[in-house]
Amino acid sequence: MSHTVERTRSIARERRKRTTAATVLSLPLILFAAVFVIYPLASGTLTAFQSSTLLNQANELNGVDNFVSLFRSDGFAKAAGFTIGFSAVVVAIEMVLGFGFALVMDRAFPGKKLFFTLLLLPIMVAPALLGIMFRLLLNGDIGALPALLESIGVSVSLFSPDSVIPLLVVLDVLQWTPFTFLIIYAGLQSFPKELLEASAMDGAGYVRSLTSVVVPVLKPVLFAAFFLRAIDAIRTFDVIYVLTAGGPGTSTTTLSIFIYKTAFEAGDFGKAAAAALVVLVCLVPFVPFIVRRISSTGMEGKK
Amino acid sequence: MSALAPNPTEALASASSERTPKRRHATAWVFTIVAGIIALVVNVPLLNAILVSFKPDGEIARNPVSLPASPTLDHYANVLYASGYDFPRFFLNSAMIAVGTVLVVLVIAIPATYAVVRLGFGGRWIISSASGLRLLPAIFFVVPFFILFSTLGLQDTIPGLIAANTFLNLPLAIILLSSALRDIPQEIEEAAAVDGASIYRTLGSIILPLLAPTMVAVSVLVFIFSWNDYLFALVLSTSSATPVTLGAANFITSTGIRWGDISAASVLSTLPPLLFAIFAQRYLVSGLSSGAVKG
Repeated sequence: MSHTVERTRSIARERRKRTTAATVLSLPLILFAAVFVIYPLASGTLTAFQSSTLLNQANELNGVDNFVSLFRSDGFAKAAGFTIGFSAVVVAIEMVLGFGFALVMDRAFPGKKLFFTLLLLPIMVAPALLGIMFRLLLNGDIGALPALLESIGVSVSLFSPDSVIPLLVVLDVLQWTPFTFLIIYAGLQSFPKELLEASAMDGAGYVRSLTSVVVPVLKPVLFAAFFLRAIDAIRTFDVIYVLTAGGPGTSTTTLSIFIYKTAFEAGDFGKAAAAALVVLVCLVPFVPFIVRRISSTGMEGKK
Repeated sequence: MSALAPNPTEALASASSERTPKRRHATAWVFTIVAGIIALVVNVPLLNAILVSFKPDGEIARNPVSLPASPTLDHYANVLYASGYDFPRFFLNSAMIAVGTVLVVLVIAIPATYAVVRLGFGGRWIISSASGLRLLPAIFFVVPFFILFSTLGLQDTIPGLIAANTFLNLPLAIILLSSALRDIPQEIEEAAAVDGASIYRTLGSIILPLLAPTMVAVSVLVFIFSWNDYLFALVLSTSSATPVTLGAANFITSTGIRWGDISAASVLSTLPPLLFAIFAQRYLVSGLSSGAVKG
């Protein structure tokens, strides 16, 4: 009898120890999250309803004035339109090309290791530095590309309003197709190849097997690549800011550039926070869906 | 990227048409060429910057397309030694920010993830919110961080930028570490507990070594991402904490753009992440793909 009492006690003691340890171990994260996640989320939301500026963070509540002025001017709507259009185009191209690259690389051939490494390099280059490198490449006086175009008799000003958007699309595709490639390629490596043998046995050709076996099985991986790229494309800032600063005019102003400029060039913190809050509120509903979508590719909690 | 014998789509191609070994060999070279062209095209900006950085000033404008006729290291010397540029300081700042962020992220993420996954702290929602946080637009945090950092005196300091980058990278670290922890069999810890090891001891001398590969992957990714950050550096640093991503543009002076110097600066600034990409590729690939696919 006393033996079982002793045992229950020791289990209780064990459990208490675990709870204490868990709290101690989580403490750094709790403190960090309180100061640098929870507080900024709360204060950022509050700022959206205040007349706060870069020079005077007076913190006077002004109701929904910031939102009214945000939607009155067409800058925000234009930035949102450009961001969505730009993201849709680049992500679509990057998905198709990334899938194609993955199919090309998914076999043994001489030099594969070297090219695989080279193909991943653009992901590692800081987007801001890549922006500078693009300027070197595209500059009218010293750039290799304008010089090449001129030598075949084409003379275009690459940063003119007509060509700047397609140019930015190409640049984004150059940097981020390697990312979609990598995710899809990794997915192909864990592909159950018995499925393909079965479909080949059934007499399905290459294209047929691709559309009816490979794509359906890879769907979760394709979704992961798509969503991660889409989320990143929507917050694009660095390359475009370095290259065009959102111009000419406001033609290449993404939402991130719009918010940055509103805050630190126009100095209107309240309006910038309001814009940021609108973007956040529009994206939040997608988050649980994406998290569920992505985690269904591998991690079923073993708890 | 394990050497999983026949690759799926290759198996698909070879299964659907009978080929002689010789023809297969020829097709292999076709893929070499195609892959080579793709690898070249995506790296054109980087390669061009490297070429320009070795050309003397006169040559840069004269023949933009060709290889450097008389290569020079002048631009690198300017970047590193000429006064007034401060490039070495930017480089040092970036190094301190990136290394500091890696350390802080590991110190915060490892114990907390262990507590959540193994000791039942909080619950799965913590991991899920980490995934969710990674998906939110960082721009939302720019204004609150600016105000908070001004209040705390973190504006334009290395610790401030370490904090900002820790914020950006913690979610990925938690996601990668939690999926690695789940793969470690629980029996190991139970055995340690039977032997009388405390929880801290178990974490320190049994779990940590098992997590080593994941810790390397997390470190490599966090280093690269914090080295490459631009937005938060732009907002939270003005001069003394400026990293290379921001400082490389300083070569655009009032007298004009020093193209040779700016290309040397951008090549140098890209070097650390590229070296990681080449020498730690295994960890990078596993980190990026499992961080993307799981979560």
